Amino acid sequence: MLSYAARRVVLLVPVLLGATVVVFVLIHLIPGDPAGALLGPTSSDAARAALRANLGLDQPLPVQYGKWLWQVVHLDLGTSIARRQPVASIVWEAFQHTLVLAAMAAVLANVVGLFLGIIAATRQFGIADRSAMGVAALGTAVPSYWLGLILVVLLALKVQLFPTGGMTSAIDGGSPGDILWHLVLPAVAAGAAPAGIVARTVRASVLEVLRLDFVQALRARGLSESTILFHHILPNALPAILTVMGLQAGYLLGGVAFVEVVFSWPGIGNLLFLSIGQRDYPVILGVMLFVSFVFVLLNLAVDLMHAALDPRVRTSVTG
Amino acid sequence: MSATLLSVENLRTQIKGERHTTTVVDGVSFELGTQQVLALIGESGSGKTMTALSILRLVTPPVAINGGRVWYQGKDLLRLPADEMRMLRGRQIAMVFQNPRDRFDPLRTIGEQLIEVLRHHGVAQNREEASRRALALLREVQLVNVERVMKMYPNEVSGGMLQRAMIAIAIAPSPNLLIADEPTSALDVTIQSEILDLLKDIESTRSMSILFITHDISVARQVADTVAVMYAGQIVEYGPAPRVLAEPQHPYTRALLASVPTPNADVLHPIPGLPADVANPPPGCRFAPRCPSATVHGRASEPPPWVQTGTSGVRCWLYAEGAQ
Amino acid sequence: MISAAGPTAAELRGPAGEAGLAAPGTLRALWTRFQHDRLATAALALLGLIVLICIAAPLTSPHDPLATEAVNRLAPPGSPGHLLGTDGEGRDMLSRLIWGGRTSLVTGVAPVLIGLLVGGLLGLVAGYYGGLTRTVILRAVDVLFAFPAVLLAIGIAVTLGPGTSHVIIALAVVLVPSVARVTESATISACSQEYIEAAKASGVHDASIVLYQLVSNVASAPLAYCFSIIGPVIVFAAGLNFLGLGIQPPDPEWGSMLYGLQSSLLVAPLTSIVPGIPIALAALLLDVIGNAVRDVLDPRLA
Repeated sequence: MLSYAARRVVLLVPVLLGATVVVFVLIHLIPGDPAGALLGPTSSDAARAALRANLGLDQPLPVQYGKWLWQVVHLDLGTSIARRQPVASIVWEAFQHTLVLAAMAAVLANVVGLFLGIIAATRQFGIADRSAMGVAALGTAVPSYWLGLILVVLLALKVQLFPTGGMTSAIDGGSPGDILWHLVLPAVAAGAAPAGIVARTVRASVLEVLRLDFVQALRARGLSESTILFHHILPNALPAILTVMGLQAGYLLGGVAFVEVVFSWPGIGNLLFLSIGQRDYPVILGVMLFVSFVFVLLNLAVDLMHAALDPRVRTSVTG
Repeated sequence: MSATLLSVENLRTQIKGERHTTTVVDGVSFELGTQQVLALIGESGSGKTMTALSILRLVTPPVAINGGRVWYQGKDLLRLPADEMRMLRGRQIAMVFQNPRDRFDPLRTIGEQLIEVLRHHGVAQNREEASRRALALLREVQLVNVERVMKMYPNEVSGGMLQRAMIAIAIAPSPNLLIADEPTSALDVTIQSEILDLLKDIESTRSMSILFITHDISVARQVADTVAVMYAGQIVEYGPAPRVLAEPQHPYTRALLASVPTPNADVLHPIPGLPADVANPPPGCRFAPRCPSATVHGRASEPPPWVQTGTSGVRCWLYAEGAQ
Repeated sequence: MISAAGPTAAELRGPAGEAGLAAPGTLRALWTRFQHDRLATAALALLGLIVLICIAAPLTSPHDPLATEAVNRLAPPGSPGHLLGTDGEGRDMLSRLIWGGRTSLVTGVAPVLIGLLVGGLLGLVAGYYGGLTRTVILRAVDVLFAFPAVLLAIGIAVTLGPGTSHVIIALAVVLVPSVARVTESATISACSQEYIEAAKASGVHDASIVLYQLVSNVASAPLAYCFSIIGPVIVFAAGLNFLGLGIQPPDPEWGSMLYGLQSSLLVAPLTSIVPGIPIALAALLLDVIGNAVRDVLDPRLA
């Protein structure tokens, strides 16, 4: 297990380097003068020239990349055009907010998905199965940003149960309860689609195990259906379920972006949205770079967890 | 004959397909006495396993039991409420399956699965007692190194050891009846006879009855008191093992016996043709197309009658009164 | 079955789904089976109707989607002359949805087609040639997988600048890696089958093996995958438009209409959420159809 983990960590290096290359290429794909784009339209010619020299835009691309990478390694992601602050600190703050929302949505999605999936699988083809899968289909099909708007109309405007947006109340805000209150609607909107996907996965994996011969043998031993389900079937279905749950949690890191915009949740999605309007390229690219690193580590964690649960995975590390 | 423990009457089990329904167990009846061994013999697909699964009500859609009665200690198992049936499974009627490899939860050790059954059926009140009993059971099925076996996962032990462990789990709640479905067929020949001996030992020491399902007539000869021969979902011959195996009446039983190698016979006679397709059985006698003594009746559309003489019975036109 | 024992639970499951592309004759049989699913057939019909209405926008839309009516702003659905009401500029919602549907559907479907073509080709090459080629392609795929899909698409679309074609390119880049992976593993398993070995051994030229035998056996997996993601990609594409990355106002598109009406949520809540209906409906219909297709191809999963 340890050597598997070590090999996986080593394999991360080229992927992370690749991610920096992608972001570097994107910087150079921005139409026009990168220095102008990075400093903003109001920047002086002197400042642009300074940055050009700093970025070494007159130097060959590999040299430029090396220098830029050196900065990135030192957590220097440049300076925001709109806010005149270091990108790294802006991104870090927004990321924490996104993490809160994504975590809440993931918990919601996994709990609801697990529940629906088990109900559906244990009553295959019954009314409960059909209803649960209908709910799952709706959840996956309804766009999160639209669901967010509907929730705002129904539960924030018509019935004023929840706030229409933001993370804290303007007056006396910021307590955990206050944040939780602001979290409910965005988390539901963002978690609906993953909940549907988790529900389907749980149903499929449980059914897959239910078909195995040992389940019949367990019934012949006289064990109760709940013992069979919770002590035998779910543990056997767990590797597949946890993998999808982990993938969905990873998806939510980016997927909450739409919901953040709807609810003005101050996370990276919203930061990205505001930066698009302001053409704040350093922030946009900083967000991408930062999130890719987090995302890669999260995926590694999912894989390692899978390997820990299922010994067969460890033997194949390539591919 | 001893008191009847299990009496199956006219059992009927079907598989519901998209277009037509296949009757895999077609009016099967037999009786099993206490401390008796009944061998249910037949080829692949003759419905033996389905009969066993139907008795325990372990069939799942698209398979369904559509008729008959299964009397056990004065109760019809087919009409028992589901929770009462569950109380009875394992505790009173246990089952041992053919391929032990597929019949264990791969994620739990043998010890865990044995202890789970002991605790579930209230044989042991706490963990210590359960482990003590589990070790004793593993010794009873003649496993060695039992402390180690307890901690092993099913994929870490041999098929023979796993089959012994499955027998240990089956007898853990001291059932009255053990259904053994081809318990030796997936094993090496040398281990087969060990498992057979083990089952015979257990039957006598624990005074259980065994419904022994096999395709192998020589296995039946070693264990059975009574024999029921199944063909295409029906029982074609039934009677005390010495009589059936020495003086078989049904042509199919005779053919089965002739196809088994014995020290005296130097020529084997395989049964010609293929087993009848239960999804689309021949109109008259189901064995008629392969039968060397098929009569006009057998080939015609009328199914042969059940002819009962004493404790024996046969389903064949040759023994029907008034037949040519 | 050679063993003489009775059927096990596993054997009673019935035949496994056939791999590979179905022959024309079985295709008809599959279509018949599909029609047994009445819900899916209805979904297909409704989706077809929606697509037709959008394609025939000049004929089907009651108004000019860009014509403003200053006196008739934010009319609620059901207003005379405006079945689905009007937006904040007094433009007819239904007409804008019909015209916008063209953009929305194209923005959702085109990236999948490009992804299928490019990703399929990469996966085929990687799986067939193996070795260094495969390593390079798979590592490149891994790098793109390092970004959450939504953020990568946003990042690419932002650097390329506004425009429908840029959103399509961004989405295609995001889809290529997963299609490539699906195709690669399908190719590997198809290559390991005996007929390929036989063809190679008999000296058939490389390219003809790839073209005539492999493709038909490999294609089903990426095709099924791509079909299953059309719905989510439509939602995704409309989402990028919702963020203002694609089409620019006043041209209609479902996602951008939804964003444009967000400020009217308090005044005209009903009208403001109308543009989300076709997005959700298209995704839901595709989901129902996709599930039915999967069940038809592989009855075990039903």
